[in-house]
Amino acid sequence: MFLEARSICKAYGPRVVLDGVSFTILEGGITGLIGPNGAGKTTLFEALAGVLPVDSGQALFRGQPVRARDRKAVLSYMPDGIQPWADQPVGWLLRFYSGLHGAPPHRAEQLIEALQLGDFRAARAGSLSKGEWKRFLLAMSLLTPQPLLLLDEPFDGLDFRQTQEVMGLLKTVRDRTLLLSIHQLNDATRVCSNLILLSRGRIVGAGTLEDLRGKANLESGGLEEIFLALT
Amino acid sequence: MLSLRIRWLLEHEFRQLLAARPFWLLLLLIGPLVGQAFITAVEAYAEASGIGGGPSALAQGLSPLDGIFVPSFGAYDLAATLLFPFVAIRLISSEKESGSWKLLLQAPVDLSIVLLSKCLVLMTGWLIIWIPGLVAIGFWASYGGSIYWPEILNLLAGHLLRAILSTAVAIAAGAITKNAASAAILTLTFTVGAWVLEFVAAGRGGWLEWLASNTPTSALRFFEQGLCQVSTITVCLSLAAFGFVLARLWMLPLRRPWFHTSIGAIALALGMIASTRIRPIWDLSENRRNSLPLADAEALSRIGAPLHMKVNLAPEDPRRTDLDRNVIAKLRRTLLRLTVEYIAHSQAGLFEAAGSHYGEIWYEVDARKQMSRSTTEPIVLGVIYQLAQVIPPASRDEKDYPGHPLAARPNGAAWFYYLAWPCLVGLAFWLVSKGRK
Repeated sequence: MFLEARSICKAYGPRVVLDGVSFTILEGGITGLIGPNGAGKTTLFEALAGVLPVDSGQALFRGQPVRARDRKAVLSYMPDGIQPWADQPVGWLLRFYSGLHGAPPHRAEQLIEALQLGDFRAARAGSLSKGEWKRFLLAMSLLTPQPLLLLDEPFDGLDFRQTQEVMGLLKTVRDRTLLLSIHQLNDATRVCSNLILLSRGRIVGAGTLEDLRGKANLESGGLEEIFLALT
Repeated sequence: MLSLRIRWLLEHEFRQLLAARPFWLLLLLIGPLVGQAFITAVEAYAEASGIGGGPSALAQGLSPLDGIFVPSFGAYDLAATLLFPFVAIRLISSEKESGSWKLLLQAPVDLSIVLLSKCLVLMTGWLIIWIPGLVAIGFWASYGGSIYWPEILNLLAGHLLRAILSTAVAIAAGAITKNAASAAILTLTFTVGAWVLEFVAAGRGGWLEWLASNTPTSALRFFEQGLCQVSTITVCLSLAAFGFVLARLWMLPLRRPWFHTSIGAIALALGMIASTRIRPIWDLSENRRNSLPLADAEALSRIGAPLHMKVNLAPEDPRRTDLDRNVIAKLRRTLLRLTVEYIAHSQAGLFEAAGSHYGEIWYEVDARKQMSRSTTEPIVLGVIYQLAQVIPPASRDEKDYPGHPLAARPNGAAWFYYLAWPCLVGLAFWLVSKGRK
């Protein structure tokens, strides 16, 4: 197993957000963590990334337990809805992030080109629109070298064309395993080879679309129907 | 690779500092603040020196440290207390509020390095803020004023320590709280708490007074008097280190930060108590105001037996303040085996302790005892010599401090501080903003 989450529990006071979450991810490809708003996707990502303390549970990487503080060696997590260093120009921030993570010097330029950020090099990050921000954060996340990349809602805020382009870009990432949290079910089926369904802090199903359809006892139907049947 | 990453972090933090409006505002304000203090001090010094044929004070009483440098750098105490913390808070709180902290937590360097780079950049910023103060030293020298570098460097060290403490408090507050506003409130609470402690502890003696002597402003006073006290430096650096550790603890995703904080606080308290045993103190003032004359120090060093003093004066009695500051503080630096016992502990000793023994100061060496009511240095020394059977120094060959009167006008200072400095800051801000694009 590439990554295994075992019985991860997290509660804020009496409110249980993650209730014994366990799943596995195979190496390579794109896996989608699917769930409605409030299902616990972001909490699970933060717990896996080691930026949020959990009540119990552990994460194993290639069969070996990895402590929360050591997770940054094996995975990189890009949160949704953050606005890092809004006063600095986009070009500088990508150079900084690239330098900090030891990415090859040309990598930032490649991503600026691929994500159409060339016009915003000199712009303050804080002046970007929501879609531009999303592409900028995506560029930052793709500058990190860890073998596993966790992206929280990577398509949120992108228009249809941008979503298509970003999906295309993510599919070209061959040397890393991607775990995406997505609440738009249509987006999920278009980009992810494997799916993990999360509802109210619990895993309700995992596998390919066909696996999940079988688990839900449905002969046809999309992810939406499967999700409703399983929850 | 690590050094390259640290270089990136430092450059990034420096850019963040230069992007912070509070820093530029502080830079803009500090010039006129220092300038006003410096100009007023030079004028007052000139008057005391008899400018324009007016009456002059005794030359021995005119020291540039007290007359010029302490008041001029006083603006930095104000800045370190009320302005600079906001610059430091911004550097931490903005990371938390924007979410960028989650990215830094995943950076391939330890969190301590990230925090250290922030501290280093903040200290660099503080040194930039020092420019008007350093220019004041230059102005003073250009007027023909006396410069005694040991006491000036000691004063600068005190202000640097003061800024380090403020930074540590602000960084810790920024880490503990969720946003900049809460961090500012917490920092101000610490500042006001320190003032209250100084007020309440004044004249009370005991551990409370000792604690109050280690608040940032009180610690600075030692340096302003020309003293370099290792225990004060140790306590201040321990407090600063505690602030740094606290910031690290609260930035890490820990389940029980309060538990770790408590352990850190206990370690700090033990460290502070241990630091009271650190004795070295250097008097770096040019007029050796904190020291006994060299001949007396030499004579006192011949006393092998311990000296025990029993002081029957209440903490709020001005005679006790005189005795403590002008005699006992100096004796402690000379006599390593001196113990002082305060008998009157009343809060209203002047009125309450009207007993016939009130005001007595007993000295004891080798079971020989003598009482005196005087609190002046020569008389106290006389009693000690007599009791210890040590021959007092025949003469004190030491040259008296001559004083440095200077009847000079603060020429050019107003132009620099009120006009050139704001223009320079404005120009620098414009250039930096332009360069950022």
